[in-house]
Amino acid sequence: MAPISIQLDRISKRFDHTVKGEVYAVREVSLAVEQGELLTLLGPSGCGKSTTLRMIAGFEEPDEGTISIGGKDVTHVLPNKRGIGFVFQNYALFPHLSVFENVAYGLRVQGRDEAAIGRAVGDVLELVGLGRYERQQPHQLSGGEQQRVALARAVVFQPEVLLFDEPLSNLDAKLRVEMREQIRALQKRIGITTVYVTHDQEEAMAISDRIAVMDRGEIVQEGSAHQLYYRPASEFVARFIGRTNILPGRVVSAAEVEVEGLRIALATSRAMGETVQLVVRPEMIELGPAAGETGAAHIVQRTFLGEKTDYLVALGGSTLQVSATDHYRRPPLDVGQPVTVHFHPEGLHVLG
Amino acid sequence: MAARQTVSWRRVAADPALLTAILAVWILLLLFVLYPLAHLLERAFFDESGFTLEPLLASLVDSGHQAAFANSLILATVVGALGTALGFLFALTAVRAGLSRHWLTFLDAAALLPLVSPPFTTSIAIIFSFGPKGFITHDLLGLTNVSAYGFWSTMSAETLTYFPIAYLTLRPILAAIDPNLEEMAFSLGGSRWRIFRTVTVPLAVPGFANAFLLLFAASLADFATPLILAGNSFPVLPTQAYLQITGLFDFKGGAVLSLILLVPAVAVFLLQRAWVGRRTYVTVTGKVGQRSRSRAIAPWASVLLVAACVAVAAIIVYFYALLLIASLVVAFGANNSFTWHHYHVIFTEGLPAIRDTLIIAAIGMPLGGFYGVLVGYLIARRNFPGRRAMELVAMINYALPGTIVGIAYLIAFNDPPVALTGGVLIIVACYIFRYSPTGIRATVALLQQIDRSLEEASSSLGAGSGETFRRVTLPLIAPAFFAGLGVVFIRSMTAISATIFLVSISWTLITVRILENMTEMALGPAAAFSVFVIVVVFVVVAGLSAILVRLRAPAAGAAARSFLGG
Ligand SMILES: Nc1ncnc2c1ncn2[C@@H]1O[C@H](COP(=O)(O)OP(=O)(O)OP(=O)(O)O)[C@@H](O)[C@H]1O
Ligand SMILES: [Mg+2]
Repeated sequence: MAPISIQLDRISKRFDHTVKGEVYAVREVSLAVEQGELLTLLGPSGCGKSTTLRMIAGFEEPDEGTISIGGKDVTHVLPNKRGIGFVFQNYALFPHLSVFENVAYGLRVQGRDEAAIGRAVGDVLELVGLGRYERQQPHQLSGGEQQRVALARAVVFQPEVLLFDEPLSNLDAKLRVEMREQIRALQKRIGITTVYVTHDQEEAMAISDRIAVMDRGEIVQEGSAHQLYYRPASEFVARFIGRTNILPGRVVSAAEVEVEGLRIALATSRAMGETVQLVVRPEMIELGPAAGETGAAHIVQRTFLGEKTDYLVALGGSTLQVSATDHYRRPPLDVGQPVTVHFHPEGLHVLG
Repeated sequence: MAARQTVSWRRVAADPALLTAILAVWILLLLFVLYPLAHLLERAFFDESGFTLEPLLASLVDSGHQAAFANSLILATVVGALGTALGFLFALTAVRAGLSRHWLTFLDAAALLPLVSPPFTTSIAIIFSFGPKGFITHDLLGLTNVSAYGFWSTMSAETLTYFPIAYLTLRPILAAIDPNLEEMAFSLGGSRWRIFRTVTVPLAVPGFANAFLLLFAASLADFATPLILAGNSFPVLPTQAYLQITGLFDFKGGAVLSLILLVPAVAVFLLQRAWVGRRTYVTVTGKVGQRSRSRAIAPWASVLLVAACVAVAAIIVYFYALLLIASLVVAFGANNSFTWHHYHVIFTEGLPAIRDTLIIAAIGMPLGGFYGVLVGYLIARRNFPGRRAMELVAMINYALPGTIVGIAYLIAFNDPPVALTGGVLIIVACYIFRYSPTGIRATVALLQQIDRSLEEASSSLGAGSGETFRRVTLPLIAPAFFAGLGVVFIRSMTAISATIFLVSISWTLITVRILENMTEMALGPAAAFSVFVIVVVFVVVAGLSAILVRLRAPAAGAAARSFLGG
């Protein structure tokens, strides 16, 4: 295992709220980010992602807990002494400085000599594909270009860690995908420890080595995209990451759970007769035409989306979301048609 | 909460540049705001035997002082009401009468001229017009034995001088009331007059209140106009306090009188904060409609409005023309042959005053500009214990009538440990701490438009707070810097109420020389001095405006306007 680069130890931050009084924006968050890892803080708006990130950067000071970077306690160290590169949601380019001077800023502050600055800035602008933009002013650039300048500015002075706060949220959908790939490629190339904040689960899954999901100021689950998707720890995580069905079930034996009258093979340590919640992803359900009119389930709605076909299926008291990705191989199912429902056991997960 | 405080302190302590800046500002505020004020209070309320209300009570029962107090209030009330009405007239005309740009520029220029003039210009012009040898009273109407002194002339001069404040306050408010709203009421069948009464005026009410209070305070504190025009029959508090000190050398009496002036001044300040400050001015706006002539004002009413404004503007222009002519003739009214003599006088005998004033303005200008930007930055951007207190204390000298500030400085800095009277420093300091608050406010307003993340970006890139301020913040708030510096310069050229107590044999001011000329009835040189000041101020303001335009920074325009608002 790589050494730990950023360590948060039970940090909390409270803010004064005009109505509610003091409220926790971040509560007892502990987190370890490994050297060279890209960790994403993911969560809905207001859950405390930015506040956590800003405490790592030193823009906010935690009310409790400690932060260390590279093994040094930096809890009370000012941001300019932490060696962090920060990329802001609004880019925060200095409007009175050219692209070159924006990128050179950190190097000038360090007092590097002119030749070294010129080389370093030239190289990094080349790296982000803005070789010919040195003389431009920030307001002459597109959003994507501005973002790349901001990125170049943050990495040029070789900080120990790189922090991103929703860097792509002002870009259009297509550019977002392109930019996140660029960011990921650059991060891997220079192997820099990175914390990335976003509320977009797809972006998080695409870019991260590891994701920490936050809810109301706390980290509710940490893991790879794969773990979060298939083994969510709570209904919140299950619903926040991807589309999901959450079905009531009852344990009928050590190896079987009953859902809406269907018996499903599923090993669980729960006691017999206990009710549980099952998480089933839409693409892990297989539908088939039921023989005759006897099926317990029928199609309520069908939506053809090109790469897949989405169905809504009435099953007992529940409505299932089902995605058929192999739809090109089968005839479509019609609304009202009775169907058989088959859950893939590897896609089933018992909550709690 | 205690925990929060320690956190802030630790942050401040870890940041030497910030700590230094905060300490420096506090030392300056203590020395130049709180220390003089404390001395003034001590002088007024303490004698050898300790605390006493004796002088205050004696002053209150003095019938002369009672009259001065009443006169001050009456004058301020009338000036407040009339000035607000006049300002409203101009504002309504500017936003609703559908004037062409040229006419608007003319009205603006005429309305703003008095704000950048030395304090006596209107007074001089009134004497030239309505005095015993006045152009209007004597030459045109053939009257003799008229007196240009007293309530009416003081009131008229102050109204003309200060109504632009009301204009500047009311115009944006009226402009923000969507004409469509009025038109909608119109299309619903209301008569125009009814709409005006029931829609336009009620929406502008908070603006009226604010304008009135501003004018009230300005008139209350005005020293120059009553000194020239009020005469013996109409004493007011600032002039009484001045005479008490310069005539009778009664520092205690002057201190007490100036403190009596403080009562209505503070009342106005509190009223404004509590009542006006909290309301949002404009309650309803849609998408602002096009700026064409609004049908909500009848054509004949528009014509009337424009005619009234042009008449007022014409009076102002006439006054300034009179001033110019008077500076170029031998003796206005008596001998109207052309001469450069008065200009010769002011550039020979008057040269020390001109030189001193320019030196003082030149020293105060950059210092005041920098001080305003620094304090504005600390208040708007940094979190440190005592921030609100700093904001409040920094505004004190600005909010107080000049007479109080002047007397307080005189008393405080006359003796050790900080003996400054007679020098240049005391005058410069007085201007900086009295007029930089405009720069502070402009800085705060500008910083509110500049995202904090710019400074955070700089700090994440390794720059300390001092370096961030220098490399990022300062260039971005340059417009506020220039606006603040401009105001300090203008006021250094034109103000008198506080600094008249601070001039000395070695350091004097143009405004003080004008006053002396007036009392010696040397009106020609007084007029020449006034013209000189107006020209210098105009050139500097034009220069600064050009810089602001070139900076093209956000809100440069607003900052430019705050020249005049201050
Ligand atoms: N300076 C502040 N003063 C008061 N409350 C604050 C401040 N900053 C953040 N908060 C509060 O703290 C909570 C967390 O804010 P934070 O900015 O960390 O959320 P976020 O997860 O980044 O949300 P978003 O996705 O909308 O950016 C919010 O409820 C917010 O209102
Ligand atoms: Mg955020």
